[in-house]
Parts: sequence; structure tokens; C-alpha cells
Amino acid sequence: MNNDLRKKIVDMVMTGRDGHIPSAFSIVDIIEILYDSYLKYDSERPDWDERDYFILSKGHGCLALYVVLERCGFLTSRDIELFCKPNGILGEHPDCTKVPGVEASTGSLGHGLPFAVGIALGLKIKNMQNKVYILVGDGECHEGTIWESANVASNQRLGNLCVLVDWNGSAAQLMPRDNLQAKWRAFGWNVIIAHGHSEKGLKRALTSANGFLNSLPTAIIFKTIKGKGVPMIEGHGVWHHRIPNDEEYKTIMESLT
Amino acid sequence: MSKKPIRQQFADTMLDIGRKDPDLVVLIGDISHSILQPFAQVCPGRYYNVGICEATILSMAAGMSKIGFHPVVHTIAPFLIERGFEQIKLDFCYQKISGNIVTVGSVFDYSNLGCTHHCYGDFALLKTLPGIQIVYPGNAEEFDILFRQTYRNEYLTVFRLPGISHGQEFCTYEILLGKGIKIREGSNLTIVATGPHLKTALDAVKDLVSMGWDPEIIYLHTIRPVDTELLLESLCKTKRVCVIEEHMRSGGLGDDVLRLASGFGGLEFISLSIPDEFITTYGSYKDHCIRVGLTSENLVNKVKEIFTI
Repeated sequence: MNNDLRKKIVDMVMTGRDGHIPSAFSIVDIIEILYDSYLKYDSERPDWDERDYFILSKGHGCLALYVVLERCGFLTSRDIELFCKPNGILGEHPDCTKVPGVEASTGSLGHGLPFAVGIALGLKIKNMQNKVYILVGDGECHEGTIWESANVASNQRLGNLCVLVDWNGSAAQLMPRDNLQAKWRAFGWNVIIAHGHSEKGLKRALTSANGFLNSLPTAIIFKTIKGKGVPMIEGHGVWHHRIPNDEEYKTIMESLT
Repeated sequence: MSKKPIRQQFADTMLDIGRKDPDLVVLIGDISHSILQPFAQVCPGRYYNVGICEATILSMAAGMSKIGFHPVVHTIAPFLIERGFEQIKLDFCYQKISGNIVTVGSVFDYSNLGCTHHCYGDFALLKTLPGIQIVYPGNAEEFDILFRQTYRNEYLTVFRLPGISHGQEFCTYEILLGKGIKIREGSNLTIVATGPHLKTALDAVKDLVSMGWDPEIIYLHTIRPVDTELLLESLCKTKRVCVIEEHMRSGGLGDDVLRLASGFGGLEFISLSIPDEFITTYGSYKDHCIRVGLTSENLVNKVKEIFTI
């Protein structure tokens, strides 16, 4: 669990006066490991033909992506400082026309997966070996386009596609009767359940996903905690879209130290 | 003149371009599957009958475009334009991703299928999207030429295919994206026509002339970008304009013409279009045209009633 990245996320929110801290804390470990150990990229050439694709479909978690993109060299510290500022390129949802390394402009849920299916299908037609990773929220899985695309992906046998589900319990707040694992399996996908905040769990799952010998797409359902790392903001309460005051900021930083 | 249905021309154009351009891909929502089989056979791996999931098909096409393909999405108009509007807006236009949408079931072509299959507000919706191109070809050749001109450019282009042609033939060089065609030179009345209603406008000429009018007829196959130069030139001359179009009154071509004309003092205007209401009656395409007044007789009567020479 990377607390330095979490601290940077909180600082961005304090500077930009906006942002979804708990959603970013839920996924930052997944994105960090993905970029560190699995994703093929070149920050000097964000459009490199041989890169793997990562699409953050739950765009409101973008702070997690931004801090990782900075660490990987796509963004500068100045970009980070200008989060949500009129002269900056980073907003509360990622804009691929402005931000190097961002593959899709997301924010309206349910768009990322069908977009990723198109990329994966295109790569398959071109016989290219690039992989396509896409991160969706479990709440986002209420969207019909998720399951339309899941159906298309398995029927087209898109083995180059891997969905990372941020299973932080948001969906169950509204519809407790849900079985994500059974659903993805029913749509013909390989399914892995994993811990979304431990390096060991993350690596085991992502390595397993790479090791499937069949040609089906894979869903890794990561058990995560919204707001993970700071007990005060964990869960599904008021912190979803809240800016800490000075005292809360201090408490958050102490929790992350 | 070619009597080929425009929809058949769509399939033929896909086949011809598909043979030469390995980046053309066609994704359909279970419509026109039969006529696209030659393309499917000649271009294996580049034809997908994705099924009944229009929003997903649009996003998929945007994803394919991102990695260099020129996607063509095709199915019935309301399911793509109205259901899939957010996908068009965000996945193509906002992200500046190019592609092509070809719709059938224009306006009330599926006349007896009711409002679920009608689509007469598409131009109004699409015109809100920056950077989009909207093409309404009125014969087979127009589709073929305009598609070839645009399908690889950097924009999303929407082609609305009507069920019937206007029956006119043009020189190939006259058909240019964004350029209207002056069908008849006139002096005291401009008629702006789109789609099959170019024929309606032409059918009205004889009666209008007998009443002392000298109508100028401007035909527009491109709704975006609209040929403001040609329109302004004609409006300056005639000071009277009648727009005939298969679209709801709100947001149609008539609104564009009115906006252009806003600087003219005393310009007179008639809109022959679809009232802002659902068409819940049944009957043929022609029956619907009669019901909403898209006929040459109504055009003549409106000119007689509203304009004075």
C-alpha cells in the first residue's frame, strides 16, 4: 500500500479544492502495480504503437492515475500542482486530448469498457500483441453497456483484454443482491478474485491473468476498500466528494505516516 | 441515371473501398446484414454484426478508430442517434475521434412502425456537437461521392440515408461536402430543399411560375457544415425563403436559415417541416408527407398564402 501516493492525492485535493479522495484510494494500489510491473509504455512516446493500453473507466478516480502518471514520467510536478486550475491540464475527470498517457476521456460511467473492447478487437484484427487493461468500478457495473461489452468481448474471444473491477462495495450500497463473480463468469470470462491493496495479492492476480492460455477475456475482481489507508474516510459516507478542512487534513496525513 | 437504392449503394461503396483500404471496418446492429455479405466475404475480419447493443457498438467503433481504423457504424437511425447520443458526444466528438455513422430508417421511412422507429430530431441533436459533419445524400451517387470524400478525415461524419431518392442527377464535380447546389436560378423566391424533397420543390416550380414567381432552388446535401455562402447570396437577392425538410421544426435546417437571415430587414420565411409533435398515425411514407404538409401542393399554397410579389 503506497502512502506516499495517497499523500500526494490529498495534497492535490487541497490545492485544487476538488476531487474524490476515497475513490482514488480504492484503486491507487492497483494502478501503481500495473504500471510498475505489467504495463508496457514509454512516457516519452505516449502514443507508441507497441504500448499496452490502460483505460480508467471510473474517471472520478483519476487522482490515482495522475499521481502514477507523474511517477512514470508522463506528467510533471507542475502539472500536478495545477490540478483543477484554469491553466492546468488535469481536471476531476481525465481528458485524453490534454493529458499524456490518458487513453480515454472518461467520467460518464459505462463508456470505458466498450471503448476498450473496440481497441482490443482492433489489435486482434491487426494481429498485434498489445494488451488492454481497463479499470471499472463495481457501481459502474450497474451500467448496461458493461454487460453488452462483456458479451461482445467473450464472443469475439478477446484474450488481450483484462478488466480490473474495483470491488469496494459501492454497488452493494444500492443493490445488495449482486454476485459479480458469477456474472462475469456467466458472460464467458476468466475470473480471478484478489486482494486489491496488497502487493502480493495484486501481483498474483495480474500474473495469473497474463498466464491464461485460453483466448477469453479476463476479469480480475479486486476486493478493495473505498478510502483505504485513512480510517476516518473509509467507507461510503460523506467523504466521497469532500475536501478536508485543515484539521481533517492533519488527521489524514497522520494516518498515512 | 442510376436507379440504385441508396442503401444498396452504401453496401456497394463499402465493398469497393474495403477492397482497397484495409483500415475500413463495418460494424452493424443486425440491419442490412444480407446486402453487406459481399463486403463481409471480401474483407474477412473487418465486418461485425455486433448485435442489438447500439451504444456499445458506437463506443467500440471509437476504440477501433483510436488505433487507426476507419469504422462505419450502421443501423436504424433512432437507435444510433437518440439512444447512442452520449456515445457519439463523448466517445467521438469530445475525444476528437473520427469515424462514420450511416443510418437507415430516416425520419418516418419506417412509417407504420410508429414513433419507436421514427427519427425526426436527429439534425437538432447532432448539430449541438462541435466538429461533427452531417450528410444527407439524396441519391446513390451523392452517398458514394460524399462518403469517399470524408470517411478518412478527422471528423465524425453522420450519413442519414433516406429511403427514396430525389431523382435528380448531378455532375460528379458538383458534389462536394459542405457545398450546396443551385438547381434553378431565380429572382424573387428562394426554396431551400434537402433529401427527397428536392423533388417536391421541383414539382412546385410550374405552378409557382404561373403565379408570377421565379423561384431559385438551393439543394443542400450537407447539413454540417452548411453552405452559408450560397444561402446568403440567394437570400440577399430574393428576400423570401421557403425551407422544405424532413425534420422537426425545432433545430432543423429552417433554424439555420433563420439565423443566417437574422441580419436581413424584412426577409420573409416559410418552414415546411414536421411539427414539433410525435407522428402517431399510420400509413405509408407518402401518407406521412401529406399529413405534415411536405408536398408540392402545400408548398405552392403556403407561398400563395404568406408571400406577396
